[in-house]
Amino acid sequence: MRTKIIITLAGLLLAGCATKTVNIDVINDDGKAVMALDYRDFDQAASEMIQSMIGSGALKKPGGGRYVMTTGRVTNDTMQRIDTDQLMAKIEEELMNSGMVVMTSAVGGKGAPDEMIYEMRDIRDSATGDEFKQETLAGRRTLIAPELSISGKIIQRNIRYDNNRQQVEYYFQLRITDLTTGLRFWQKESIIGKRGSNRSVAW
Amino acid sequence: MKTITNILLVVLAFTLTACDQPTAKIHIREGIRSDDLANNIVTRPVAYAFSALIGERIEIDEAILARNDTGFLELNINGHNRSYNTKRFRYKIEWLDANGLMIQTKTSTWLPASATGKSSFSLKAVAPRVEAVDFRMDTKKWE
Repeated sequence: MRTKIIITLAGLLLAGCATKTVNIDVINDDGKAVMALDYRDFDQAASEMIQSMIGSGALKKPGGGRYVMTTGRVTNDTMQRIDTDQLMAKIEEELMNSGMVVMTSAVGGKGAPDEMIYEMRDIRDSATGDEFKQETLAGRRTLIAPELSISGKIIQRNIRYDNNRQQVEYYFQLRITDLTTGLRFWQKESIIGKRGSNRSVAW
Repeated sequence: MKTITNILLVVLAFTLTACDQPTAKIHIREGIRSDDLANNIVTRPVAYAFSALIGERIEIDEAILARNDTGFLELNINGHNRSYNTKRFRYKIEWLDANGLMIQTKTSTWLPASATGKSSFSLKAVAPRVEAVDFRMDTKKWE
């Protein structure tokens, strides 16, 4: 009987000590920095990149209008499992909202961002296509090719700082290339550095 | 009592003299530049202590708004760090349209800034929308 009471009490105590789950205030997050890349780092890198791109004037199209842009290959060269869209989705959104570019979903570094473009064309060319009103199906040679491509890399370097601490450096590198001429219009590197315990794992 | 007042006056004079330095175009830091009467091995600890005592920190001198060639608003903020220590902080700039409404943008996030002791600093921001006509800026401590 006594043992049961002790076990019950211990259980209750442990339940009381369990860390409560809370939602993060993503607008004003006062949480501690972490050694790995978190959403604040992506927000910071994206903000710096967007402001640099827009401020450079590289996206101003001679003669007016908007450039057609695609996201090329953005390589994750870190020890972490990162979807580079965490960075690029923010940049694409802001570039489109700026009115300087229009993004294409027809081609991209990871393949077409929207496979439906090609699936609908496959339907058009198949027997199923007869089920659709012909004038609502996309015709041939209707896709618009991108004029600019944005590509880059995220690099991580781990350095032993002293006996107890390590330094982790993250390099966000992006570039915009004119796909007709191959010339590079814009380029930027943004660095985020962290220094912390050797016991923290940055992957 | 009179002696204490005199010491305080001298320290205040030293501090005020040191305050002129951030506006200089060329800033040669302590330990590199020659010592002078206002800043030497004897007065320095007193000046440091006095600066900390009166709470000298970051100050903004001017905020310049201008539209760039592509029609986007650019903001340049010039300020200086009055304290002797490096001050790290975060700042966030929000852009406002002609109606005074905040423009939702991914660039309005907390960004890091750092100003070394007794020196000037500049911050630059570009509004990502042409609708922006004004701004507001907030700061917080570097966590």
